[in-house]
Amino acid sequence: MSACTPLIRIKDVAREFTLGTTTVQALRGVTADVARGSFQFVLGPSGSGKSTLLYLLGALDQPSRGSIEVDGRQIEKMTLSEKNQFRRNEVGFIFQSFNLLGNLTALDNVLVPFLPVGVKPGLRRRAEELLDRVGLENRKRHRPHELSGGEQQRVAIARALLKQPQLVLADEPTGELDHSTGGEVIGCLRNLNTDHGTTVVLVTHDESYIESGDQVLRLRDGKIVDQQQA
Amino acid sequence: MWRFAIQNLISRPVRSLLALAGLSVAITGMVGLFSVAEGINRMVSETFSRIPGLAIMQAGAPLPLFSRMPAAWGDEIESMPGVRVVNPEVWTRVNVMMGERVIAPPRFLFGTGIAAREKLKADVYRDAMVEGRFLNASDRGQLHAVISRQIAEDHDVGVGEELAVNGDPLEIVGIYHCGQLMLDVSIILDIDVVRRLNRFDRQSVCAFYVEPDGTVEDQVLVNKIRERFRGREVKTSEGIPGVLATGHPLIDLLLAIQNWLSARGDPLTSPPVHNDPEAEPIEVRTASDWGERFKEFSADLNLFLSVMTGIGVVIAVLSIINTMLMSVTERIVEFGILKANGWNRRDVMLLITCESAVLGVTGGIIGCLLGLAGTSIVNSTWPDRLQLYASPSLLIFSFFFSTFLGISGGLYPATWAMKLSPMEAIRRG
Repeated sequence: MSACTPLIRIKDVAREFTLGTTTVQALRGVTADVARGSFQFVLGPSGSGKSTLLYLLGALDQPSRGSIEVDGRQIEKMTLSEKNQFRRNEVGFIFQSFNLLGNLTALDNVLVPFLPVGVKPGLRRRAEELLDRVGLENRKRHRPHELSGGEQQRVAIARALLKQPQLVLADEPTGELDHSTGGEVIGCLRNLNTDHGTTVVLVTHDESYIESGDQVLRLRDGKIVDQQQA
Repeated sequence: MWRFAIQNLISRPVRSLLALAGLSVAITGMVGLFSVAEGINRMVSETFSRIPGLAIMQAGAPLPLFSRMPAAWGDEIESMPGVRVVNPEVWTRVNVMMGERVIAPPRFLFGTGIAAREKLKADVYRDAMVEGRFLNASDRGQLHAVISRQIAEDHDVGVGEELAVNGDPLEIVGIYHCGQLMLDVSIILDIDVVRRLNRFDRQSVCAFYVEPDGTVEDQVLVNKIRERFRGREVKTSEGIPGVLATGHPLIDLLLAIQNWLSARGDPLTSPPVHNDPEAEPIEVRTASDWGERFKEFSADLNLFLSVMTGIGVVIAVLSIINTMLMSVTERIVEFGILKANGWNRRDVMLLITCESAVLGVTGGIIGCLLGLAGTSIVNSTWPDRLQLYASPSLLIFSFFFSTFLGISGGLYPATWAMKLSPMEAIRRG
């Protein structure tokens, strides 16, 4: 697959939810490409369909219509097992509320994707290195409630990176952080993008993190209203 | 996975402990209840394994105490091929001992033919002497008694001392210790002394103990004895006194068993029908007869105990389902995160099943230990009563049963969690 080929191709994707007797159209025919190795911002007001799009890209949900291709594979045609493999090995998630497991230490939280298949010593070493890299070398044995919000989000980043994914999906990762800590988290993701060529798709409200050269996609009412390079 | 499961349980200590308590109590109850049945089975089998000969009693009599037969039948039996010794026995109940009423445990005056008894190759009492001597020819007609260590300890008497039984002063010449509840109840005297003290018909006995010479198979001998007396009438002044209560739970239990067996129309235990040439005036029982009949009874007892245990088990399973369901409901977001990180349905189900299995295993261990401790405390508190017995097989079964309960209790919540959509789960957070 050449570097010019988009990593993600979204074609006429729609997603409807039925809430009781009401049908909500979260996405209404979205078509877009995400270039391999790009830093892609997804902006838009609440309810515009940003998170829905992110979940669809991560195979956490199924589109009602249209197709999503990641690295040449159509997500909506994947079996359950293929989706699990995809999530375990190829895509890293970072959530707004960190979503760490409160019973586990920072190190174990990073290792969570591999707990069912067994954690080999090499993997454990790599998890420790990742925590070192995000500045948590002295916080590995701490549980989430013993960490600050920024530290928790950095654990979540380390968890997303453990599998060395080609795609990281971040759903408002700075939403619960102050601007300075949020900047540090975005910095971690930028390093990942520039050092390893990892494609990052980041949903946020805060446009101040956008830098020159970033890709920006704006959504409103489930439709793309703007798509450009910053 | 196991470590993660255990950490999850530890992180919700109160809920885990409550589920554990529910399961442990059910398993403790199960061990306790079935140890009663096992205790009875063990006592019966150990008791009868020590009495290898045949017991002959009046048909329908639940115990020798309620049996009457002509003493002369003993000579007839002794003349039969295959019979080595016939020992006549008279049994009466002790009502007052050392001025105190005897209710429970019961005590019996056991009159034995001393001459015949001396010929026995194996004698459960003589072989269990711990102090003094067993009865011999010099004790005939004398108020000389051999008593159990239990009775001696209860009344603080020893060899050479006097034991007042029903107002009669008996001189203790020996002390035995069989270690069996059903055997250590006897005060053994010369048969004629017991007859005299209790105004018992001199021409009657309660039972005969027959020691075969080994030349004829036991069952063949049983049939021959039954054939020989078939159609005869038991001409004694007393019959079978119907359903009697002795005041002792164990003896009453045996009475109930006998009545139950009779009600089933067992040919060996049916009451005699007079003037019927086919009527059986006597019952001849081998140790294995007793064992077999007891197994039938204990099967019914086990059924009853299973129902009782079942109630506890249902409560325990509901408690585990409740605990795991609440735990799963609280952790919907967690399962969403796990699925977002590549955990599949099977992995999530396995995690919850591991958690409930840990509850099951721990509940099983605690329940078995508590059950074991409980039976030990009961046995040491009432050493002269029925000894409960929690066998290794009962404990192993209880442990695995608890594990099974734990796992099955977690299956429904696990299936529920497994089906959650990861996106929906995360959004709920």
